[in-house]
Amino acid sequence: MPQLTYLEAIRQGIWEEMERDPSVFCIGEDIGIYGGAFKVTDGFIDRFGPERVIDTPIAESAIVGAAFGASLTGMRPVAEFQFMDFIGCAFNQIVNMVAKAHYRWGAPAPLVIRGPSGGNVHGGPFHSQNPEAWFVHAPGLKVVCPASAYDAKGLIKAAIRDNNPVIFFEHKYLYRRIKEEVPVEDYIVALGKARVAREGRDVSVITYAAMVHVALEAADILAKEGIELDVVDLRTLSPLDREAIAETVRKTNKVILLHEDVRTGGIAGEIAAIINEEAFDDLDGPIVRITAQDSPVPFSPPQEEYFLPKVSDVVRVVRRLKAY
Amino acid sequence: MAKKNKNVPKALGRHSLNGHDPQLHIPRSSQRTYTIVDHRLEKPSFTIRQIRKGDEIRYEVTGDLNAPVPPIRESKYLDKKQCIEIYRWMLLNRKMETVLENLYKQGKVVGGVYFGLGQEACSCASAYALYKDDWLGPMIRNQGSLLVRGFSARDIMMQYMAKAGSPTKGRDASSHFGDIERRNVVAPISTLGDLIPVLAGVALGARLQGRSIAVMTYIGDGGQSTGVTYEGLNFAAVQDLGLVLFVENNLWGYSTPADMQFRVKDLAERAITYGIPGVIVDGTDACQIYDAAHEACERARRGKGPTLIEAKMMRMKGHAIHDAAEYVPKPLFEYWRKRDPIARFEKYLLGKKWITPQENEKLIADVEQELEADRDFAVASPMPEPESAAGGVYCDSSCHEIKPKYGAPKVRVAKSGIATLREAAVHLK
Repeated sequence: MPQLTYLEAIRQGIWEEMERDPSVFCIGEDIGIYGGAFKVTDGFIDRFGPERVIDTPIAESAIVGAAFGASLTGMRPVAEFQFMDFIGCAFNQIVNMVAKAHYRWGAPAPLVIRGPSGGNVHGGPFHSQNPEAWFVHAPGLKVVCPASAYDAKGLIKAAIRDNNPVIFFEHKYLYRRIKEEVPVEDYIVALGKARVAREGRDVSVITYAAMVHVALEAADILAKEGIELDVVDLRTLSPLDREAIAETVRKTNKVILLHEDVRTGGIAGEIAAIINEEAFDDLDGPIVRITAQDSPVPFSPPQEEYFLPKVSDVVRVVRRLKAY
Repeated sequence: MAKKNKNVPKALGRHSLNGHDPQLHIPRSSQRTYTIVDHRLEKPSFTIRQIRKGDEIRYEVTGDLNAPVPPIRESKYLDKKQCIEIYRWMLLNRKMETVLENLYKQGKVVGGVYFGLGQEACSCASAYALYKDDWLGPMIRNQGSLLVRGFSARDIMMQYMAKAGSPTKGRDASSHFGDIERRNVVAPISTLGDLIPVLAGVALGARLQGRSIAVMTYIGDGGQSTGVTYEGLNFAAVQDLGLVLFVENNLWGYSTPADMQFRVKDLAERAITYGIPGVIVDGTDACQIYDAAHEACERARRGKGPTLIEAKMMRMKGHAIHDAAEYVPKPLFEYWRKRDPIARFEKYLLGKKWITPQENEKLIADVEQELEADRDFAVASPMPEPESAAGGVYCDSSCHEIKPKYGAPKVRVAKSGIATLREAAVHLK
C-alpha cells in the first residue's frame, strides 16, 4: 500500500469521487489554477476543467448558498473554505438556510463544506481556530474531524456520498505531518462511528483530530509506567457515537475528554453529559477535561504552546486519575 | 443616470471564460457604463424625510403627489388570454390575503399574516414569465408568485394556520415552503438576501447538467442592504448565471423609509456595479413587469447572465398584520391607492374590451368561490400530532433519491493522471 499524507489522502478522496460521480464538483476560493491555499485541489482543474473546479469571488455566503442551490438540482458540491476560521462569514447560510432545509421543507442538501482548522502552526487568532462545536449545535448538519490519513480519505468520500450537509474539518497541523499506508481500493469510513485508536484497560481518553496524536504520544510514555490508555478517536462529532463513548467508560471507568477547541461550550461538555446519561454507574472518578483555554488562539509560539493541550498535560492528568 | 432607453444595450452579452465577449471582442473589464432602462410612463418625484415638529419626530413626504395616474403600458409580448390569466392570479392573490386577514381576526391563524397588498402585479406577472423548468425563490410578500408557480391558496392558508396538511406539515409558516420536484420553488428563510446565492447555485447546477434556465427571486429596498445580496448577485454576475432579481422597492423596510437604506437615486443603478443590466419598471403595471421579466428570463435562458429589475411601488399595509403603519404619511397611501395594480389592470382590460363587465364579474365570483372552498378545507383540516415534530432533521438513505434534475452532468475529464502534489508556496505549513 502507498504511503500518503493526510492532505494527499483527502485530495485523492475528492478526486476519486469526482471520477466516480459526475455530479460532484468543487467550488471555493483559489482552488482552480492555484490549487487551493494548501494545495488540496492541486491539479484538479486540469483534470476536471473549470466547470467543475470553480474559483469564486471572496464571498463565503455566496459559496455556501451556491453550493446549496446546486445541491437542490441533484449535484453534490464540495465547497472549500480557505480557512475554517472564515466560516463565520457564512454562518447564516449554513445554520439557517442549509441545516434546516430538510426538516422544514424536505429538501435534502447533499453538500460538503470542507477546509483547514486547528492550531499549532502559529497562524494566530484568525487562522487557527477549531469552530466545530458551533455546528454540532445546529441540528441538520453532520460534523467530521478526521485524525488519520486513512480516515481522512474514507470520511471525505463518505461525506460526499452522504445525503446531508457535512462540515468537514481538516486539521492543518496534520496535513503534511502524518503519513501512513492507505489502500488503493475504493473504501469509505462510515460517518458517526468512532474508532479505538489504542486499546487499554486503565484510563480512557476520548478525543479527535490532532489531539488523537497527543493522546497516543502520552499513551507511549504512560505504557512505560504500566498504565494503559484506551484512546477513542471520535472521527465524527455529529452524530456522536454514543455507544463507543459508553463502551470505553465501561472498560476503564476513568475518562479524560481531550480537545484542542476552547473549553467552555466545547464538545467535551456534551460528552460528559452523555457519559452521565449512559454510563454513570461505571465511573470510578471524575470526568476530566483537557482543552485549550477560553481565549482566542494567540500568535506567538510560546503563547500558543501555553494555549494548546500538551502531551505532558495528558500524562499528568492520567497519573492523577489513576489514583482514584 | 436613469436615461430612458427602451432597448437593452447590446454590450451586456455573455462573456466567455477567457474574459472576452465572443461577439463584441472587447474585454469585459473595459465595459464601464450602462444605461439603466426605464420602462415607466411616470416618474414619481417625492421624498420622505424625518422631520422634527416640536417634540415630535415623524416622516413627512414632499413632492408632487397630484400627478395623474398613467395608463398601463402596452405589452410587447402578452396577448389577451395571458393578460386575463395574470389578472386572475392577481385577484386570487389579493382575495386570498383578505381571507387570511379574516382568519387572523377569527383567531385561526398562528402568528402573523404578511401581505403583498399593492404588490400583486409584481409577484404574479414576474412569476408568470417563468417556464416549468425555471426556478423561483419567493420572499414573504410574494404569495402570488407561489400561486402562479402551482401552489394553491389552501396550501398557503394551511401554512398560516400551522395545519398538518400544510406543505411543511406544520413545521414552518407563511410563504416558507418549496418544492424541488415539480414546481421548482426554493423555500425562503426569514433573513434577507439569502435566497440570492442559492438561486444562483440552482442555475449553476442546471448549467453543469447542460441547461441554461432562468432562476427568479426577489429582494426589497430594505433587504438589499444586506451583505449576502451583494455576494449572491456578484457571484451570479461573474459566473453569468441566469438570475432574475426583482428589487421590490416598496419604500418601507418595516418602518424605515427607503431613503434611510441607500443613497442612489434608483436601486437599479446597483446593476452598474455588478456589470449587469439594470431595468426600472412601474411595480403597479403588470405589463411592464411581465415584459421586463420575460426579457430577463430569455437572456438567462440564452446563458447570458443575470438581470436586476427594480420595481417601484408601495407596501400598502404594515410590515405584518400587527403593524398599522402609522409612520407612513397619509398622502402617500392616497397617492399609491390611485395606482392600485389590480384596479389599473382591470380598467385596462375593460378599456381594451378584452374582458366584458359580465365576464369580469364572473371571474371575480369564480375566484371567490375557489377561495371559499380552500378556506373551508383548510379550516376543517387537522392540526399536526405533537409527535410529528420529531424526525426528518436528516435525510436518511431512503428518504430521497438524489439525482441530477436535468440529466447527467456534462463532464469533460482530461487524460492527465493525478498530478504530483506541489509543495511550494503553502501557507502555514
